[in-house]
This record gives sequence, C-alpha cells and structure tokens, in this order.
Amino acid sequence: MKTRFLKFTLLAALAFSFVSCEKNGGEQYNYTAYQRAVNETVKAQKKNNKAILLVAFGSTWQQAFDAFDETIEAYRKAFPQYDVYLSFSSAICINRAAAGENAADGAEIRNYYAPPFWYTAFAQKGVMYSEIVTQSLQVIPGEEYTRVINYIKDFANNANGDLDDDYLSRVVLKLGVPLLQDEDKDVNAVAKALNNLYKGQAANDIVAFMGHGNPDSYDTYKANIRYTQLEEALQEINPHYFVGTVDMMENFKPHVYERMAEAGLNTSNRKVYLHPLMSIDGDHGHNDMAGDDLPEQFVGKSYTFDDLLDEANDEGEVEDCSWKVFFGAKGSGFTCDNSTMIEKGLLELPTIRQIWMDHTKDAINGEPLDYYHSKNPE
Amino acid sequence: MRKIIKLLLIGAALCLLQPLAAQDFLQDSIPETVITATGTLHLLKDAPVQTEVISRQMLQNYSGRSLEDILSGLAPSFAFNEDDMGSHMQLNGLGNNYILILIDGKRIHGDVGGENDLSLIDPRNIEKIEIVKGASSALYGSDAIAGVINIITRKHKEEGLLLENSSRYGSYNDIRQHNAIGLKFGRFSSLTNFQFQHSDGWQNTSVERTVGTEKPITDSQNKTVNRHSNGQIGEQLTFTVNDRLELYAGGTIYAKRIYRPSGKYAQYDVHTYDLQYHNASASAGGTWKPNDTDVVTFDLDWNRHAYMYYFTATTLVEDYEKSKGTIYYPYFPYLPDQIEMQSDQRRTMASLKGVFTLPAGNLLNTGAEYRYDWLSAPNRVVGGKATDWTAAVYAQDEFKYEFGRNSLLHLAGGLRLTWNGSFGMKLTPKFSAMLGLGLPWRIRATWSQGFKTPTPKELEYRYVKQMSGTYLYLGNTALRPQTSNYFSLGGEYTHAGLSINVTGYYNSVKDMITLVTIPNYQAPAEYIIQYDPVKTRQYQNVDDARTIGVDVSVRYSLREWAFGLGYSWLDTDANQYDSSHDRMRNVIIDGTAHHKGNFFTTWNHRFGPAYKISAGIYGRMSSTRFYQDDGNGKGYQIWRISTTHDLGNFERTVWRIEAGVDNILNYVDRTPHGLHLGTTTPGRTFYIGLTVNFNSGRKVRNTFNSTISNNYNSSTNDEN
Repeated sequence: MKTRFLKFTLLAALAFSFVSCEKNGGEQYNYTAYQRAVNETVKAQKKNNKAILLVAFGSTWQQAFDAFDETIEAYRKAFPQYDVYLSFSSAICINRAAAGENAADGAEIRNYYAPPFWYTAFAQKGVMYSEIVTQSLQVIPGEEYTRVINYIKDFANNANGDLDDDYLSRVVLKLGVPLLQDEDKDVNAVAKALNNLYKGQAANDIVAFMGHGNPDSYDTYKANIRYTQLEEALQEINPHYFVGTVDMMENFKPHVYERMAEAGLNTSNRKVYLHPLMSIDGDHGHNDMAGDDLPEQFVGKSYTFDDLLDEANDEGEVEDCSWKVFFGAKGSGFTCDNSTMIEKGLLELPTIRQIWMDHTKDAINGEPLDYYHSKNPE
Repeated sequence: MRKIIKLLLIGAALCLLQPLAAQDFLQDSIPETVITATGTLHLLKDAPVQTEVISRQMLQNYSGRSLEDILSGLAPSFAFNEDDMGSHMQLNGLGNNYILILIDGKRIHGDVGGENDLSLIDPRNIEKIEIVKGASSALYGSDAIAGVINIITRKHKEEGLLLENSSRYGSYNDIRQHNAIGLKFGRFSSLTNFQFQHSDGWQNTSVERTVGTEKPITDSQNKTVNRHSNGQIGEQLTFTVNDRLELYAGGTIYAKRIYRPSGKYAQYDVHTYDLQYHNASASAGGTWKPNDTDVVTFDLDWNRHAYMYYFTATTLVEDYEKSKGTIYYPYFPYLPDQIEMQSDQRRTMASLKGVFTLPAGNLLNTGAEYRYDWLSAPNRVVGGKATDWTAAVYAQDEFKYEFGRNSLLHLAGGLRLTWNGSFGMKLTPKFSAMLGLGLPWRIRATWSQGFKTPTPKELEYRYVKQMSGTYLYLGNTALRPQTSNYFSLGGEYTHAGLSINVTGYYNSVKDMITLVTIPNYQAPAEYIIQYDPVKTRQYQNVDDARTIGVDVSVRYSLREWAFGLGYSWLDTDANQYDSSHDRMRNVIIDGTAHHKGNFFTTWNHRFGPAYKISAGIYGRMSSTRFYQDDGNGKGYQIWRISTTHDLGNFERTVWRIEAGVDNILNYVDRTPHGLHLGTTTPGRTFYIGLTVNFNSGRKVRNTFNSTISNNYNSSTNDEN
C-alpha cells in the first residue's frame, strides 16, 4: 500500500511536470523510427529477390485476420520465388491489429503496414527487391484501387525524395488487378465459381450477394457497374442469384428486392441466403448484412415489410436496417434469418481466391508498369 | 432594509473571508443563506429565485467521493453517465453544454465535446453547493440554460497557521488526498492546497455486445469506468489593504490521465492511446466597499484547458498535416509515450461588478464582463486556431416589500446585453417573484431567457473523417446563439422543522446547434476539390427541445434527526437532426428518465466531549433511462450508509474519521459493453477516511446543535 501510494504521488508529480512531457522528437524522428521497424521486419523476412505486396483496405475483425493469414499462406505456396507481404491502407485497422494483447509476448503479431512504408523498406540497402508485384485485394476497380495505384506512383516517382533513384530505375514494378477488373473474363469466372459453391442453395431458394460499391452519385470510378454485370452473369446461370451493395446508387437492398419481385420470386416464402461480396467478412458482413439493426421506431413493435419500405430515404435505401431484418420482415414473401447467413469473405473461398492469384500470375507474366513521371509530370 | 444590509455584509464575509478551519461560523442559529441567483445574500426561504442547497453539513454527512457522487446522491434532478471521455451530466434532461458550473461565482473552463471535467473540483474543498435551475439569473451569460451550479469553496481567515490533511481510501483503490496549508499574519494570508485522486476503475461485465451471427465475446478488457488519476495544486494569496479594500491573486495547475486497457479484439477492446488533460488558471482581483452597504468587485482570470492523446502503442495517423500544409504525410506514426495535442482552449476574462443599495427598497446588482476565447486544435479547425470574444453588461434589480410579519413580496428583474464577435447583440430578460403570505407559505415564479454562444469550434471547425467514405465537417460563422425560455412556478411550505417545496417548470430551447448534411455547392470550393468525392456536414441552428417537469423536495428535522425526500418527474420532447437519414426526427432526449428520486435520513449524537457520531442512510433511484440507439438504461435503486466520527477534544486539532458502505444491496448493471447502462456503479464498495485539521489560531469549538434548524439546510453551524 505504501509503495503504491508513493507510486501515485510520483505519478502526480510527474503529471505536473507536463511542460517537459511532450516527447515528440520531431516529425522526421518519428517517421524514421517507424520506418526502421518496417525495414527490420522486411530484412528479417527476406528470403527471395522478388516480393508480392497484397493490399487490402483492412479490418479489425478476427475472421478477417484469419482470412488474410490464409491468403498469405496460399500465396507463399503458389509463389515460392516471392516473399509475400500484406498491407492495410486503413490506419485504424493497422493500429489495432498490432496493439493490445495482439502485441504481447507469444501473440501472433500482425503488422499490416501501410503501402508506402513497405515500399520504402523494399528499397532499402540490403533488400532492394528486383521485382515488386502489388496485388490489389479489392473486388472492383473503384476508389480504393485508385489509392493503390497512387501508392505505387508515389514510390516510382520517389515522392519523398528519400529513395535511391538508381534502384528505382532498375526495379520491376507490376500490378495485379482487382477481382472484377475485366467485365467479361473476370465477371464470368467469379460467377462460375460462386455458382459452383452455392448452386445447391440457389436451386430452389435465392442467394443474394452484398457488395460494397462506391457511393458517388456520378460514379466517378466507373466500377460500380461490375456488380450489375456480375448479377447478369450469375442470372444467366440461375435467375435465383442477385447482387446488391451497401453504397452504390440504385443498387441498395430495396432495389435488389424489387428485382426479386419483378422476377416473381417473392412468393412461397423462399429462403434468401445472404453472402458478403467483399474480400473479407468484417463490419459490413456482420452488421449491415447479418446484424439485427431495425429502424428505431419499430423496435419492440410489430411491423411489416411494407412498413420498412415506407422508411426508404430519397435514394431508395432503408437505413438502420440490416439485410437480414429487411428480407426476413413479415410480408416480404421470403424467409431470411440467422440460418440463411453465409458468413464468408471472398478470400475465404479458395476458388475465388484463385482468381486473384491468377491476376497476380498475369501481372508477373505481363509487362512491367511504366509509372515514372506518371503522377507529377515535369 | 437593515436586514438586507446585514445579510449583505455577512455574505461578503462568507464569500471572501470564509476560512477553511473549523471554528468559523457566525453564530449558531443563522439559517441557510443563498447567493447564486442574485449575487446578493438571502435567507434561503426569502430568496426570490428558487435555489437548491447542498449544505456543508449534508456534504459532510454524505462523504461523497466526487462531485458526481454528491450530486447524483443528493439532488434527483441530476443524471450522470461515465465513459471513456469523462462524466456526462444532465440537469433536468439537458446536458453539460447547457449547464453552467461556477466555482465561487466564476465559470469553470474547458470541455471535451461539451463535457466539463468535474474532477477539477475537490469535494473536500466545497463549503456548499447552490443550484439554480433554468436561465434564471442575469448575472450569468452563456450556457446557463438548464441551470447554474455554484460551488462555494471553503476559505481561510484564521490568524496563524492552518494545516489540514484528508486521506480517504476505498474499494478499487479509490484514493482521495486533500491537503491544505494556510497562513495568515496581519493583513496577509496564503492558502495552498493540493489534491490527488485515483481509482483503478472497474469492469461490470467482460461481455461485448455482439450482433447477429457474430461469435460472442466474453473476455473483453474494456472497463465500465477506466482507471484514472488526477491532481491539482492551488495557491491563493490575499492582502487586506484596509477595512474597505481587499486584493487577491491565485493560480492552479491540474493534470489528469485516463488509462484505457487494451485486449485482443481489434474490433472491440484494443486502444492505442490514453487521454490526458492539462489545466491551469491564474486570477487576480479585489473587493472594494465604498460605503457600509455597497460592494464593488473586480476580477481578471486566465484559464487553460488542454486535451491530448497519450499514445500507449505505435499509432499511425492518416492525413497528417503540419503547420499550414508545409509538411504532409499520408500516414504519420506516433510512438509510445508521445503526446498529440487535440485541443488547447484558453480563456481570458475581465469583470467588474457592483451591488448598490438604492432608495425605496431596491437593490441593484450590475456589472460588465469581457471574455476572449482562444482555441488551438491543429487537426480540427481552419488554420489550427480560432478566436472569439464576448462582452456583456447586465443589471438586475431586487425590490422587497414587506407588508406584515413574514409577509413580503420580493421581485428580481434583470436584463443582460451580450455582444459577441460573431453573432452580434443579444438581449436576455429575466424576471422572478417570490410572494410570502405569512409563514409558512411561499410562492415563487420565474420567467427567463437564456442563451448559449456558439463555441469557437462550432464557428471554425474543419475536420475530415475518412471512414466508409469521406466526410468533411465544417464550422459556420453565421451561427446564431442557442436560446431558451424558462418558466417555473413553485410553492413552499416551511414550518416547525418541516419544509416542502414543489416546483414545476417548462424549458424550451431553440436554435440548438448540430451538424447537418449540406449540398457540396454550399461548401468552400477549395475543400470540395481537395477531398472530392466527399459528404459535407456543417454546424447549423436546427435542433430544438422542450423539457417539462416537477421537482419535489421534502425535508424534516427533529432534534438529532433529519429526513429528506426528493422526487423529479421529467418529460422531454426534442426535434433532432438525424444524420444517418438527413432529416429531422422527434425524439426523447437521450439518457432521460421520467422518474427519479432520492431519500435520506441522518442522525447526529454527541457522546461526551470527546466523541460525536453522524450517521446517514441514503437512497437514490431512477426509472428506465431512454436512448434512441443501443438500448435503454435499466432503472435502478442504490442505498448507502455513511458515518462520520469526531474524535478528541483538543485545543488546536480536529480528528475526524469517516467510513461507509455504498450500494449496500450490491446492485450492478451488467449490460454488455456497447449498450447503455442505467448506472455505472461497480456494486457494493467500502471507504474509510481520516481528516486531521491543525490550527494554531483560535480554539476549536464544538458547536453542533442539530435542534436549531427549521429545515435540514439550515444546519450551517459546523465544526470543520
């Protein structure tokens, strides 16, 4: 007790000396110290002369971490000539994956550093990979994918001025495209793989996939259309497949329902199986799709599907309502509950993961990127 | 009239010269007085504006660990919620933003998202607490919409040396340390105090709220209340120039840290930084009495409140921009033990006020104030800095007409004219009346307008958040002040130790400020180009709220016993902007309950000259607390036993032991993390404390006499 009290008193005294508390050793110091840790990780892991960097937005869900781990393993097996790294672009996801008990002794430490730090580490003396293949783990070539391209451009153009220009002129940079890059080849391959997995469910019932989508009303990235194309490809195989999103205009869950109803499927209480169409099953999959969210005014009250539809906003979406609750509402003409949730991210499906890996192979076999002066032309 | 003068002089003495020591009471039989609403001292029963008092005696019997503990236990119109960021307080349904907290009449400074840090106030340093509901007083400007809490602190006026130590220890390593050193020689006096508070915090449940098909989490590290430590050092110097003029200067520094444990679930219980707060204040001023009845005071205050992240793990920050964009990193790493400033608010205030006796039973309280706010928030406001200024003049007249024994009409009317750098002029009138038709009846009525100035953050905010899309948050220099109209009507019955008070009120708040989605073409073009595609939200005056309620208070004193009952009924109705649907919706204000109550009974007894005991049983209860999202808070009732023991009969030293059990029935709300709790109590807790007070001045007298009071509040006679 005595020592404890002494400790507290010291702590208090320390608190009062706060003027000297700010230990920030300057911005460059932090940057260098952090980069050093990334450099050491790369040095320790370097076995080959070539590297693959997988880039995902990131997640804070355990199921997602497991999916990323599996993906790294699969890549290591398929590309033994390459060192494989995984990167998050979300700072919050990077921070949380590497902190708390996840950073404790004996824990499996997950350092999903942001792309610029990995690239700088790849270019350090003693590492200097001769070839760096970046693989986008995005589903559509949208906003996130654009960020991935920009990271590579910053690296190729030595945006921070701290890399060896000779090395940059030598290094071979390659880019593996997102899952649904090609509107024919990829879309059909994904449709085929998904049907192979879920044709049993789709035989009599419905399987609806929930993608993310870009929220821009004017479709800046021209990528949202892939969801529509995938639905068309799937429906050519079996009209019981649907693809909607959480963010794409005109393709929210009420729009998906509308298409189901137009096809006359909302009779006889068919089951609606729901499946995330995202690389991992994280926040959106667990909450927006399979969560219990119901608009506040109906909580604890009886309501019908039409009541939910009446809540649609100007864009046609019923917000604060999960897909499960929406399709399972009384009067929807469907059955949808916990038993019809397929909680799998796309990276957890080996046949879909293979399509990403095929993109990596294509990149390796294809022409290198010519990104020099591509971002900030002189 | 002479009575008022007498009271005024007593008031000045109480407010300016009251000592920390024991034997400082004026006379045994003086009943409770109040000062907050009018700035002039009144007998509680004759005050024109309804004022609720938590007296020194009540505070001492209750032995609260903190201001939250005291207010939630003794005043049913308050509700509290603790979370990561501190304590959220509500008074009759309205939150911190609308409650003005004063220490000795001066507003406390600094908030985090509108939440004042109540641990700035050392409960051991409180002489009494006065609560005035609604915007009833012209003396106070912005924020006093739900009401004013005036913390009147203990003062030191004894000759010679005063030493005081109060140490208290309770469950969950709850440590409360209060120390004071007072010196008074001739015209000069000094009071130095140091307080330290700590709690290990507690965890009522290790279950996280999980939804749908998600795996349950039962080993979360998140605590219900986090471990925290805070300390404060203060110094106050006083110099009495002559009988008519007294000068003072003082300052405080304060620091607080809230520790956040970190588990393994990145989604739920991993945190990479603690929260830290640094406060400082400096003040100087004086009191001048130009004649025997009038008083003029002048004050100059400076305050700083800084809020920062203390990193406990390496943390990458996105879109880090330093000093006007000269250095830009898409990601910037903070290393463990480093600090990132979130906001640093500084306020400078100058005020001049006077109380003047006018002919024909009038008393004028008038003054002028100037306030300058400076905010540095590197990541949150345009250019990292914002400033604002407010000037105000006010006048409040009190008129008292006595038309028989104990029959009187007491009127108080005031006007406050505020001139602000951004919104211009605002005039707020106030009017209160008290009619006494012979004891035991009193009737009081109030109509008052209140307002709240837009904060520098609301005016100058610029914050980009990237989370499932990019959001741009903007301040709005065209904001109007938030305004309120408060009406109350109350009746009081006071007779033979019994006091019953029933007050109904209606408070309508308009032009409340909130973030609203706006079309991008209304936002500055340079931001849209920089961040496009982006969804833009801007602070606007769109919300409104109405609260209606009845507060009932019953007190009864009989010899060594005192009983009290409090009840608060509340209904709320608000139109709030719903940002997920971009539309207005009609709601109950979050966290409010329809029924809240408290009860206490205390007993004091002296066994010979060397031992006195005070014991009390206290209960507080609430019906379901309503929330729009994440579940309602469960109703609860919590009971407590407090005892204090005065030991010895020494000439210069007072020894007091306090011990008690809180939450005797061991009620714990184990609702999973992520959902709302009715109360955060950890269950049954124990505490014991010792206070030693040494005074080389006058002899300590034991003057307690519990039979004199005509209500519980009037037991101001005290030993320590």
